Amino acid sequence: MNSALSLWLFYLLCVVFAPILVLGTIRKTKARLQNRIGPPLLQPLFDLVKLCRKSETLSKTMCGIFRLASVISLADMLLIAWIAPWLCYKPGPDSADIFLIFYLFALTRMFTMLGALDSGSAFGAFGASREATLSLLVEPAALLGFISIGALTGSSDLLQILSFSNAQLSGSPGIWLLVGTAVLLANLVESSRMPVDDPTTHLELTMVHEAMILEASGRNLALIEYTHALRMTILLGLSVQCFMRAIPSIWNAEPAVQGLINLTGIFFLAVLIGIFESISVKLQWRKVPEFIAYSLTMSLLASLIAIGGRAMK
Amino acid sequence: MNPKHEIVPISDREKKLNDWLKKPGGRLGHITSIDGKQLITLVLDTETGSSFCWETPIEHSTYPSLTHTVPQSHWYERTVWDMFNLTPTGHPRLKPNLLHESYAPDLVPLAHVEVNSLTAERRQYKPMEVTGEGIYEIPVGPIHAGIIEPGHFRFSCMGEVIFNLEIRLGYVHRGVERQMCSVPWRHQRFIAEAAASDSAAANAYANAIAIESLCEEATTARAEYLRSISLEVERLSMHISDLGGLAGDIGFLAISATMSRLRGSALRIGELLTGSRFQRGFICPGGVVSDPASNLMQIQKMTKQLQIELKPVLQFFFNNQVANDRMEGIGRVSPRLAIDFGLVGVAGRASNIDYDVRRHFARGVYRQDEIAIAIETAGDVMALARVRAREIETSLYLIVELIDRLPEGTVRVPLPEKLKSNQIGLGIVEAHRGELLHLIFTDNDGGVKRYAIKDPSVNNWTGLAISARNNLVTDFPLCNKSFGLSYSGHDL
Repeated sequence: MNSALSLWLFYLLCVVFAPILVLGTIRKTKARLQNRIGPPLLQPLFDLVKLCRKSETLSKTMCGIFRLASVISLADMLLIAWIAPWLCYKPGPDSADIFLIFYLFALTRMFTMLGALDSGSAFGAFGASREATLSLLVEPAALLGFISIGALTGSSDLLQILSFSNAQLSGSPGIWLLVGTAVLLANLVESSRMPVDDPTTHLELTMVHEAMILEASGRNLALIEYTHALRMTILLGLSVQCFMRAIPSIWNAEPAVQGLINLTGIFFLAVLIGIFESISVKLQWRKVPEFIAYSLTMSLLASLIAIGGRAMK
Repeated sequence: MNPKHEIVPISDREKKLNDWLKKPGGRLGHITSIDGKQLITLVLDTETGSSFCWETPIEHSTYPSLTHTVPQSHWYERTVWDMFNLTPTGHPRLKPNLLHESYAPDLVPLAHVEVNSLTAERRQYKPMEVTGEGIYEIPVGPIHAGIIEPGHFRFSCMGEVIFNLEIRLGYVHRGVERQMCSVPWRHQRFIAEAAASDSAAANAYANAIAIESLCEEATTARAEYLRSISLEVERLSMHISDLGGLAGDIGFLAISATMSRLRGSALRIGELLTGSRFQRGFICPGGVVSDPASNLMQIQKMTKQLQIELKPVLQFFFNNQVANDRMEGIGRVSPRLAIDFGLVGVAGRASNIDYDVRRHFARGVYRQDEIAIAIETAGDVMALARVRAREIETSLYLIVELIDRLPEGTVRVPLPEKLKSNQIGLGIVEAHRGELLHLIFTDNDGGVKRYAIKDPSVNNWTGLAISARNNLVTDFPLCNKSFGLSYSGHDL
């Protein structure tokens, strides 16, 4: 009982602090690579506190959706955090349907887009239009990898897909590496990071995600920022889960060690993203589909392996 | 060096200007007026380095617009309409350039003639409307997200493609030109430096040349060298900053962070030379205010160090495949349009216009072969970036070289108390953005009756509007940064 309670506590701490620290880690990495000292790791938290204490400015044209959208998105994201197995410990239900999870992600996106349209600004509208284009492209890339393993297990339950690895797929780490990478690349697009969207830019004409939330301020903005960071962290967690299954020695380790590796993995990927963002150049808008194609290719390869594996049995 | 004065009747003006622009080396310098009774057309001959000032007497405050045959005059005609109430008849898109709705309708700031009763309609501004299915407008500014000056951009788009960009300026109009006439000429340089503060040295230099030509005095050789070094340092720091900005806009953080650090070194060189990081208060009519003799060795050392540090950064930037991808073919201005709209400076040279004031209006400091003009033909963002990179190299070389050759002597000559009466003085300088003109007219007592400044941005803002066409909305900031234009220099 006691240990269950402490696990719950650990889980809650992860949900609250991991997104903030992931964001902080990326910023710190980027700053260090530019020879700057950079903000403290907890700066995103300070920013959230600051935003919560600020007053809000609302556009006159909006109806309720703009305010509602951020609340719905956060609730939705917390639900995903509860269902999806992005940490080794999961207090949620015993099943986590892959389609449910990915379309809950889509729900968040839809409400962010509706909120952007509701604000009535020209930027919100074209930010939403760009986001719609991106989501259309990235969805198959993120899903296909998992589905291919799902096809092997005969289930779309993410928990079964992941636990399936032990027995049948322990001999083929390739498929997990591919799926993990596909999710990681898709995550860069989903979370509006480089090279698709530049989260540090001030140029409203080039923004995707930022353009949608230009009109948000105060607490509303704090909710959106946190939701966004949580989404990136959950997806990073899913990538790490895949990578962990590629290495049998990790997978056979103690649960506590696994949990630690999982968490460390998330921050390791955050550092990688920071390094990548420092040396990469934002892609031309017309070239974005090519980048997403990398992710899709990984997924396709994974499904080929999966199909091949099935045929051999 | 002073422009030759010529009276050109209104009937001859169009033909004469067209003929001038057709001949090799013929350029339009500026169109303005002295007090609203005449039109001044300054034309330049880059082959001989000479200039002519055509005066056209105007009656009834109207004259036929030349925009249809000389497109580059469209902007000047709008400004002259604002400031002198001279109406160009037949101008296709006549609307206010500098004076917005909030100015009193009968305000005509620079005309000394009685103006008829004017209505508020005069101040109304109607952006060009692009109509059709699926066309929508994105208004941007005048207040922008970054810490930059104000200006309003209105994009008419079809999906992500820009059909038309209309630029509205004038938000930082301060009345610089009138202020110039109301202060003693010895104080003018301080206002000139503030006309566009990132071209402080260039503006002070142009003011100094114009005033010296009105005194018919020349400064010492040493001062002339020091001024040129100061101008090159300014060019160096601004080009570094512009390239860094370009890298920042495509999200190339490594380059943009390094460039902003290196710009600091360039500003430090400026501080060693002039005592001010932005080189203010250094160049004055008659020479320069102080001799940085004790710092010259260190300046040379720092310049060489900067040269070593910049090389790999520029290589890294231009060798990056994705960065190339972002810049090539974006924001193209064809050489034909560049000539028609009289683009100057970096933007002109990127579109194959062989014009550099340092060479064509040489002042004896540079050797003939020294100003290797960086010419590109593509006219896209990449071409502009390449021109900047090559000019950085030239500037670095020149700073070291000019210090080596620096003649001995004093750095300032005394100037007479009064300027020559009824004269025209011209100061022309290659600022980091391009050709910068200061044109001074004196009255019977040797007082300044009209001080006109033509910043290079005046020519190039239209170039930016052209470059944005048929590009993606996401690429516009890149076009904008590649031109790197001044708002305050235009608005004055």
